[in-house]
Amino acid sequence: MKNKSSAKTAETRKKRLLSMLEQQGLSIYENLDKGKFPQFVIPSRSVSNIVYDKKIRQYILGSANAVRSSRNMSQLRSYTQLAWLAFFVNRLVREGKSSTLRDIYYSSQAFSIDFEDQPESDNIIVDLEAVLTSPREEFHIFPEERSSVFGDLTIEYTVPGYEGKRMNLSDHPDGYLIGPSLSSAELVDTSAELVIAIEKGGLFTRFVEEKVHKKFKAIIVDTAGQAPRSTRNLLRRLNTEMGLPVVILADGDVYGEHIAMVIKSGSANAAHLRELTVPDAKWLGVWATDIEKYKLPTIPMTESDIKRIYDLQKDPRYQEGNWKKQLEVFLKLKRKAELEAFSKYGLTNITDKYLPAKLEESKSF
Amino acid sequence: METYLSKEVFSQISPSEFFYRNRDLAGFSNPTRSLYTSVREFVENALDACDHRKILPDIHLSIKAVNPEQADPKHYILTVKDNGPGIDPEHIPLAFGTVLYGSKFGLKQARGMFGLGATMAILYGQITTNKPVTVKSCSDGKSLDEFVMLLDIQKNKPVIQKHTTKEGSKTGLTVSIVLEGDYSKAGSKIRDYVYQTSLITPYASITFEDPSGEKFHYARIVKDMPRPPTVIKPHPHGIDVETIRRMITDTHYQIPTIDNKMIDKVKKELSLKKNLSPKEILERAQKRWSDISKPVRTVISVMSFLNIDFEGLQKIRIDDIDVANKTITYWDFGESQSHAVELSPESPYYKQLASTVQGDTLLTFLTKRFQRVGPTTAEKFCEFAKFKPDKRIGSMTNEELVKLADALQKFEEFLAPDPSCLAPLGEEPLSKGIMKFFNPEFAAVWQRNASAYSGFPFVVEMGIAYGGDIPPNGLKVYRFANRIPLLYDEGSDVVLKIVNETEWTRYKIKGDPPLVIVSHICSTRIPYKTVGKENVADRPELERELKNALQYLARKLAVHMSRQGAADMAKKRANLYSKYVPLIAQFATELAGKKKEPNYNQLIRMGSEIEEQV
Ligand SMILES: Nc1ncnc2c1ncn2[C@@H]1O[C@H](COP(=O)(O)OP(=O)(O)OP(=O)(O)O)[C@@H](O)[C@H]1O
Ligand SMILES: [Mg+2]
Repeated sequence: MKNKSSAKTAETRKKRLLSMLEQQGLSIYENLDKGKFPQFVIPSRSVSNIVYDKKIRQYILGSANAVRSSRNMSQLRSYTQLAWLAFFVNRLVREGKSSTLRDIYYSSQAFSIDFEDQPESDNIIVDLEAVLTSPREEFHIFPEERSSVFGDLTIEYTVPGYEGKRMNLSDHPDGYLIGPSLSSAELVDTSAELVIAIEKGGLFTRFVEEKVHKKFKAIIVDTAGQAPRSTRNLLRRLNTEMGLPVVILADGDVYGEHIAMVIKSGSANAAHLRELTVPDAKWLGVWATDIEKYKLPTIPMTESDIKRIYDLQKDPRYQEGNWKKQLEVFLKLKRKAELEAFSKYGLTNITDKYLPAKLEESKSF
Repeated sequence: METYLSKEVFSQISPSEFFYRNRDLAGFSNPTRSLYTSVREFVENALDACDHRKILPDIHLSIKAVNPEQADPKHYILTVKDNGPGIDPEHIPLAFGTVLYGSKFGLKQARGMFGLGATMAILYGQITTNKPVTVKSCSDGKSLDEFVMLLDIQKNKPVIQKHTTKEGSKTGLTVSIVLEGDYSKAGSKIRDYVYQTSLITPYASITFEDPSGEKFHYARIVKDMPRPPTVIKPHPHGIDVETIRRMITDTHYQIPTIDNKMIDKVKKELSLKKNLSPKEILERAQKRWSDISKPVRTVISVMSFLNIDFEGLQKIRIDDIDVANKTITYWDFGESQSHAVELSPESPYYKQLASTVQGDTLLTFLTKRFQRVGPTTAEKFCEFAKFKPDKRIGSMTNEELVKLADALQKFEEFLAPDPSCLAPLGEEPLSKGIMKFFNPEFAAVWQRNASAYSGFPFVVEMGIAYGGDIPPNGLKVYRFANRIPLLYDEGSDVVLKIVNETEWTRYKIKGDPPLVIVSHICSTRIPYKTVGKENVADRPELERELKNALQYLARKLAVHMSRQGAADMAKKRANLYSKYVPLIAQFATELAGKKKEPNYNQLIRMGSEIEEQV
């Protein structure tokens, strides 16, 4: 059994967040009192300020900052919106309530905050993430999409009404939604030695059925396509707090390769955030080279698949090693294979043959 | 040169028959248009007469249906009364009973031009209703003459039905006609006309009583009359062959018609009581030569060559004086035959006859008969036109006249035409009129310097007004020419063309602005596109002046608009800060965990005041 090293990290993060919010509040308060125009300093998210940091192996924002000042009439409204969001998030976090992006848009209307549409409120949420360098999930704001987790992992809730209550995530075979309460829970302990992130819900169910969690001592996470931030955050916590290695299985195409890359080193549009990456995560497959090696049935790539390959070839993270090589092979094959393709050789082929082989292989990279 | 206070000079130039046939051209095409045109003609005559004598005009216009029950078109009584100088009773029948009989042919700016407006309206009334015109006039402040007249169209002659003279007290003229009209259709145009006339004539008081008895009164806005125009000689650029021919064959240079009247004149100038011999007559003439008039000198010269006395003179008719062949040809009634007599160049009378027939030298003609031509310019012109400066203008052939007229047009060294014959309204009265009419939030006026096209001087004055009582229905242009509103045929007018070509957004004007433009063109000859005097043609010189005036005013408006914009911005700022700062305070208070809100009033004030940050 692995026990988490530091105590109550979820609680710490919550305190840190609340204190940051209070600091912001105090600063605004004092400015108003002294007859000064308060302002927010927001790291600039413009393309020119997004750079890849090789050391921490993720995209980060450069040093450029944007100032949102209440002195500037054209910024006054969005300044107020941001102040409102900080105020609203403060309430959410203190009261342990969660909300969705859409909720935020509607909640604003009670305060005559005048968001024109949801994209505008979504944008202000990203601004606050940047100001506080924390993902919105920490503010208790969640996107609509959900992914799930299954395996021997004991958590302890921190959400109101469940505080201190513990739960093991291997009791329900459909898995557990990675929602607000799970995201804010403390990770207590686990017997697992590995985390397998898998792109598709169908395969996730198969893995549970085939008892992959037992055979490989694994926690299985369904990323439901491109992994949502809460899922990436959970993967990171499993990796850092519980010390579990993370491996990724995705479709054998350029999108699959990029799903693995985003889990490993983040995405450009979350460059203002940390704590969402698992730099040591390993991409098990399906590689382009696996397609021939395992004689997988394939389908031809579309125009946009090919365009996506060219796009990614410009990304600094695809400039070397296996990442670069696989892109080139995909481009040469101009064909792709889904995870389900292994079913041609029997439904359990992927868990019985492919997975062990790749895990073995992964020890060398 | 005439001045504005001189007695009007009446002259008669063509019969009315022609205009009866061409009444469409003069604006009498149908009952609607005719009613409107008649109003215009009488009101403009009244204003012209007052202007001319520096009298602040007081005009009363009324239109009454003869039988209100009847449907349009029907008979209306149109009456226009003014407080002008009136007309001498002896001139009234001619002024109102004949066409092309007017006092405004001289070169100066007036509303009337052709001497037919009033008569055309009277004619129209007479043709449609068979009713006479009534003219009441008091020109001396003592007696009031009333004429009731019909017009004899064929003879271009008035037929006086009644003439009475009563005691009068104030000068002025009232003209009243009965005519067929359609007020239901013409009404709005007539009201517009009265409204706009008051705008461009702010020194007048105008009252209009419509057929329903409703009164529209426009009080006098300014008490000063604009400077009156002077009558001037023509500019060489504004002249054509016909005009030159007319100038040359002026009485001054003509061979006098020898009739009893002329013989009496000769006798009178020589103070002859009894009949003298030819020799005695000549002797007497020699003594008084410098005192006697030119036509009389000519007659005496003829008598000297023919060696005849007054009795002989009565029996002949001079047919030709051929200076080149040195002969006089005459017809003898008694003998019923033609005679030719040789002219001896040695005779002292030869020069007299030669100059009479041949007229002045070209040099003298140019300097005496045109404005702004001095001897130097005249000589330069002769060289340019390839005429000898001492060429006698009377000796010019038709071809040479055409050549002369052509050269006068083309010669570029004549000074610009004299604008003293123009009477713009002036910036102050124009501006006052605009303020009174539109009560705008912003107004500007500009009078351009005089300019000229083909020898005709003109002045453009323009005003612009924005906001205030002006409805936000988009740009409205009021066009005036020589203080007459132009209401019809807007489409092809040069002023509208200039306005439409303007990129208003450049001047911060968008959408349907509450914007008015008042354009006034003054000229001795407005280049109208049609005889109806409703739209002005686009002469390049005129277009340039209009454009300059409009641009200048539009720039002024733009300055106002951006100032206004800044004020609006400040208001917007104030609104925004009063709305958002309290919200920010509310959020910050809870975030900071405080109970009491910060004092943010200072910040709201500052937010409303600070300049926009770029
Ligand atoms: N109200 C008036 N008071 C004094 N004189 C007048 C008045 N109305 C007309 N007259 C005289 O009668 C003349 C003839 O008027 P009429 O309207 O026929 O011609 P006009 O005004 O000279 O030219 P137009 O044809 O352009 O109107 C005028 O020139 C003027 O001298
Ligand atoms: Mg007239």
